[in-house]
Amino acid sequence: MEETVIRFENFGFQYKVQQTPTLYDINLSIRKGEKVLILGSSGSGKSTLANCINGLIPFSNEGTITGSVTVNGLETRSVSIHELSKMVGTVLQDSDAQFVGLSVGEDIAFAMENEATPRSEMVPIVYRHASVVGMQDFIGAVPFDLSGGQKQKVAIAGVLGSDVSILIFDEPLASLDPQMGQTAVELIDNLSQNDEHTVIIIEHRLEDVLHRRVDRVILMSEGRIVSDSTPDELLQSTLLLDYGIREPLYITAMKYAGCSIPDNSNLCDIHCIEFSQDNRKKLIEFFSGNPSVSKASAGEEVIRFENVDFAYDEGVNVLNDVSFSIQKGERIAVIGKNGAGKSTAAKLICGIARPQKGSVHIGGTNAKQLSVKEIGEHVGYVMQNPNQMILKDTIKKEVEFALSIRGFGAEEIRRRATIALNACSLYSMRNWPVDTVSYGQKKRITVASILVLHPDVLILDEPSAGQDYKSYMEIMHFIEILNREYGITILFITHDMHLALENTDRAIVFADGRLIADDRVSSVLANDSVIQQANLKQTSLYTLALRLDLPPEQVIWRFIEHERAVKADE
Amino acid sequence: MNNKLVINFIPGKTTLHKMAGSTKVLLFVLFTIAIIATFDMRVLLPLMVVPFAAIVSMKPNYKPLIFLFAFMIVTVGIIGTVMLLVVSPDVGLTHVGSHTEILQVSDRLYVTSETLWYVLVTFTKRIASFATVIAFVLMTTPSEFASGLSFLRLPYKVCIIVSLAYRTIPDIARRFIDIRNSMQMRGVELNSKRTSLGKRLKYTGAMLVPLIISSFGKVETIANAMDLRGFGRLKKRTWYAEHELTRADRIARAFSAVFAAAILFYILYTKFLNPYPVTMWCPFVKLENITKVNVFDTLFFLKWFR
Repeated sequence: MEETVIRFENFGFQYKVQQTPTLYDINLSIRKGEKVLILGSSGSGKSTLANCINGLIPFSNEGTITGSVTVNGLETRSVSIHELSKMVGTVLQDSDAQFVGLSVGEDIAFAMENEATPRSEMVPIVYRHASVVGMQDFIGAVPFDLSGGQKQKVAIAGVLGSDVSILIFDEPLASLDPQMGQTAVELIDNLSQNDEHTVIIIEHRLEDVLHRRVDRVILMSEGRIVSDSTPDELLQSTLLLDYGIREPLYITAMKYAGCSIPDNSNLCDIHCIEFSQDNRKKLIEFFSGNPSVSKASAGEEVIRFENVDFAYDEGVNVLNDVSFSIQKGERIAVIGKNGAGKSTAAKLICGIARPQKGSVHIGGTNAKQLSVKEIGEHVGYVMQNPNQMILKDTIKKEVEFALSIRGFGAEEIRRRATIALNACSLYSMRNWPVDTVSYGQKKRITVASILVLHPDVLILDEPSAGQDYKSYMEIMHFIEILNREYGITILFITHDMHLALENTDRAIVFADGRLIADDRVSSVLANDSVIQQANLKQTSLYTLALRLDLPPEQVIWRFIEHERAVKADE
Repeated sequence: MNNKLVINFIPGKTTLHKMAGSTKVLLFVLFTIAIIATFDMRVLLPLMVVPFAAIVSMKPNYKPLIFLFAFMIVTVGIIGTVMLLVVSPDVGLTHVGSHTEILQVSDRLYVTSETLWYVLVTFTKRIASFATVIAFVLMTTPSEFASGLSFLRLPYKVCIIVSLAYRTIPDIARRFIDIRNSMQMRGVELNSKRTSLGKRLKYTGAMLVPLIISSFGKVETIANAMDLRGFGRLKKRTWYAEHELTRADRIARAFSAVFAAAILFYILYTKFLNPYPVTMWCPFVKLENITKVNVFDTLFFLKWFR
């Protein structure tokens, strides 16, 4: 058991194209059979560290290595990436792009094909590996018919070559919805039960990974290891807040209630955490307070769906008899798993899709009479990936684009662009080229480029995807200002329960093309049957409420109320 | 995905579908060579029956096929024939070896039965090779195509490009639609009734920028994913898609051997051992009446340079 399989000694690395090193003074050893989480925000060097183990560094990404890193006793730079690939299996973040085969079987067999394994030997191994991840019934399926979670399972099966003993998962949860994410964490845990497998998970979503136990958490920041401890020790410390990692929700809740965190044991698992007498009393007291009654929204109606049916292919309805109404200034979460119909609802609002039955009203007008361009003046849609929206080379040109093609005068364009750039805190960088800014800034650019049209409604598709906690918080803060100061209605299309909890007042839930809930966020999140039907995941607040024998809705509501009060004070 | 395009991603159920990729590529190459090699209608017609029979046996979705064949008949058949009659009405003389006018419009515009025969033969050749391509595309998944090419001794790094291209084209198409939707919402009018062609082309060009940038990111991930699974380490590679030979495969392989020998003999016989005086045999021209003409003599516009 004590055999060390990976050892970093005074290790450092600098990419050829960069001015300063990405990793400094790494000293780390990982023993055989361990399950290790490498935690850190974007740019902390956690993925670079993983790439030093699997050989992408230095073989695919060139740079300067100092110190030493050995895998199974071999100095990585003296062997080859192919040699390493026999010992180290890596599942990359983008489950779609790493699917290189044209069928599940082919993708699982890819590594064996490259070893020139005869097909007769491949077939049983492919079946065995597909069974490990539960994909044995889909061996002939094509990638276009698979969900993100299924593609990831295939990717995992694909690296389970016969000799692979070290498995690296680079942000395994990034492109999955919560339910699939949970399944992935369970699957990874099952693999780690095999004593031969050493598992390394790279993530920034601590709470989701802690759904199953890990042996050790390595916290990284700015290219250095800042902590190497058990999950319990880490949760007891204040390191998470210091290094921009979201702490588990139940820990935040305990802090709000004034609990002393280090007094509890089994902190890393909400199901078996042992509260001290004192803390338990504090929690029950805190969450028993009656929530104040929220104000009823009474703004004018901006969007209304009336008995809308929609189908892409005849006979297969993607939306069934959907009706809802949205008032000005509301913040709404449109939630549901992938394919439940939430993106289709957004397309119907934008006029990209038109209802087969029923009607969509935008600002009181039946959308039938409006072109996509006209609807675009009322409703702005921000895509998940800003790189798919940006067309121009400088920030200012990008922001002015929608106005210039509508033929506004130069003076008006300048005036509106200035306001939008200021609202998004981009004015000082307006002449910067677009490709020099960060992902989060690009997202702000895309929002600004839509704000110039003065929309009443802003639809944001998965605003939290692909971002760490810090830039997520920045974007949410900025969206909140747009909502508060400019009265813009915000629709978040998301499956992120944290996002819904913290930033919205009302939730519209889709499952299998039907609207199954339209209510306050706290009551939707406390409704177990809705969460199950929508294939979503309960937040740990729900479990916390059960542990304390309190009604979940009350706990969630109190939490939201307290959190917003805390934020308002800041 | 299947049947919306003519390309199959999932192997079909018929005997031809179930054959190995290598056999399919082999048959495709042999039939293509045979069709290129002959101008003899007596050989072409039986050759043409085979791909059509193959298409029918696969029970395909005929809708897109009918469109494709109609397109071929209009462009190659009708437009091609009219152009030929205008540019070179006496091409039949060169290739068939005689001149029988059946319709005279003017000095330079006339129709001979030999030219019509020439048109009929070349059209048959094109339709036959087109049907061969369609039959091949219908029966082959892209992975089988890749493994089949590898069977023909092509370097595997070239073969994998085929399969990767098919893997990514649908994704790129989807991303393109997303980008187009977002542009429309920002006010770009792509409706053909409201916007001029020039503007639409300009906007479509602008859309390529985000498309290319977001695709480049994917390329890097794919390359890394392939490296990490040992691609390119060995000189050779096996193919999961290249399954064991079925009975149909063995029959087809045996047939291929005989067929290849027959093609070789036919080429040797018609080109060297017993060459026909002109390009093509014609039922109404007797061998002793054939006149051999220089190709350039039948192109009327060349007369202007003399």
